[in-house]
Amino acid sequence: MRTFEDDPSLEDLLSPEQRERLERLLSDLCTEPVRLTEQKSEGSVPVEFNLETIGWLSGGSRDERRAAANLIGFIMMFVAKYRLAANLHHDTTEASYAELQRQNEALKASEARYRELSEQLQDKVDEQVRVIQKNQQELFESARLRSVGQLAAGVAHEINNPIGFISSNLRVARDYLEDLREMVPASPNNQELLDDFRDLLTESMDGTSRVAGIVSDLKTFSSIDQADYSLCRINELLKSAVHLVQTEYNHSLQISERLAQLPAVTGHPSRLSQTFFNVLDNAAQALRDTDQEPAQGRILVQSRLEGDTIQVVIQDNGCGISEADRGRVFDAFFTTRPVGSGTGLGLTVARDTLRAHKGNVQIDSRPGTGTRVTLTIPMQGAQES
Amino acid sequence: MPDFDADDNKLTLKVVFYGPALSGKTTNLMQLHSLLNPQRKGELMVLETRDDRTLFFDMLPIGLRGNSGLDLRLKLYTVPGQVQHDSTRKAVLSRADGVVFVADSQPSQQDNNATAFGNLEENLEKVGLDIDTLPMVVQFNKRDIPGVVDEQDLQTRWASTPWAPLVMASALQGKGVIDTFRLLLDRLYTVINGEYDLEMLHSIDRHTFIEGLSANYGERHAHL
Repeated sequence: MRTFEDDPSLEDLLSPEQRERLERLLSDLCTEPVRLTEQKSEGSVPVEFNLETIGWLSGGSRDERRAAANLIGFIMMFVAKYRLAANLHHDTTEASYAELQRQNEALKASEARYRELSEQLQDKVDEQVRVIQKNQQELFESARLRSVGQLAAGVAHEINNPIGFISSNLRVARDYLEDLREMVPASPNNQELLDDFRDLLTESMDGTSRVAGIVSDLKTFSSIDQADYSLCRINELLKSAVHLVQTEYNHSLQISERLAQLPAVTGHPSRLSQTFFNVLDNAAQALRDTDQEPAQGRILVQSRLEGDTIQVVIQDNGCGISEADRGRVFDAFFTTRPVGSGTGLGLTVARDTLRAHKGNVQIDSRPGTGTRVTLTIPMQGAQES
Repeated sequence: MPDFDADDNKLTLKVVFYGPALSGKTTNLMQLHSLLNPQRKGELMVLETRDDRTLFFDMLPIGLRGNSGLDLRLKLYTVPGQVQHDSTRKAVLSRADGVVFVADSQPSQQDNNATAFGNLEENLEKVGLDIDTLPMVVQFNKRDIPGVVDEQDLQTRWASTPWAPLVMASALQGKGVIDTFRLLLDRLYTVINGEYDLEMLHSIDRHTFIEGLSANYGERHAHL
């Protein structure tokens, strides 16, 4: 590679046109034309520039040749100066550019490294934030559930005694009514009054048993009633829950069952029943709330074995759950039903129950199309049924 | 590094005059141009200047022919001393065979000397040269100015470096310039002879080398 300081050749200093023009100008000064060449020829004199013979001059008279050679040497000095400066400038510019590029590369590499680090950092921060939010949420929920549970336990305890003696008293009162029937004269008026009285008592007993049911719900929800875990037959529990819901809705629901052969699992039968009932009750409510013809409403109850877990799927083609409500369905006391017709504890109980069984509840829903609730129950210590 | 062209039997050496701005590098070269009478001497090429300050560099070629027909050339360069011309300084310094560091003797310029010397070290490293092995002479110029730093102090300060003794000079008056150059030739010969065997192959011994390249017009130059 040539550097700026390499000794220049005649070609480097003069272009062919410039050399031709110089020859012409010199020839004008001389008696005979002169020629400047790189090769030595007969009678030519050297043209020297900075200790270097850059060419040979022929033609003209002997004195003219020497004078012209000196003149060319003198001119070459200025040409060479310019050339040196230009070459140096070129070299330094190139070196600076290469240096800049190198620095640019280094900068890019370092920038990329920092970007990567910052992304990793951001990922870590996001992950930590998620963990903190989750923990916070769980803490909040458990604290809330604990307080709700305490409240419910208190209420349940207070109501349990009066409802007990009310229902027992009502039963005794009905027995007394039969005794009374034999004592009073059997006039049609009396009979009607007694029949009506008995109906009143029966309705009141129904009412108390519903109150007792709510109390039992609350007890389940607040885990007061810690009955021992036993072997459960999920299908049996499902069937009785379906039956209960049908009773509640005067057997007007179209519920189809598709139950697979399942092993018995260790679980809490009453809480599981409660859960199935709650979910079925929700499905029934969804069918009632939908815009379509009541006759179109269907509930599908499925059970199946998926590896080590039992899946219970309860699906309806009712009103579905709106986007806004979906995040809150598990919240205790969250309900979309009119005041007094729902406790807002159904799915909360369901979730807590499934958690207690190390399973989970998954809800897929589309407003206007329906809802599918999938309950997953792992078989720990399951036995063939 | 020396540029040896076996076809032309030509060896070109490069000496660079380095130093802070306005320390007298160009003056050194101009004095050498007018004082020296070596076997062969070319034109002093003073490239573009602005306000008398070097923009690119100056260059003076001198030469010597050995008995073997060796065409020995020595190209003397100056660098621009001003800070902003660092890339030019680096380009001129590359492939140097020897360096003359021209320092300014005025007390106010000692920091600039140190900065320039640091810059020299740095640039030598960048162009792949080793300051500890490169033939180099340090000249303290401008001894003619009153109030300059005492020579004894300077010599003591530099005594433990490879560049002692320093050469005192007044380039403006032509004093010490040739001494500096001769000392450099002496140090340069040791390295070049080691590499090219000038003495055996080309019968250029140390004396021939120094005298042939630093012959001068006689008594106009004086020792300080």
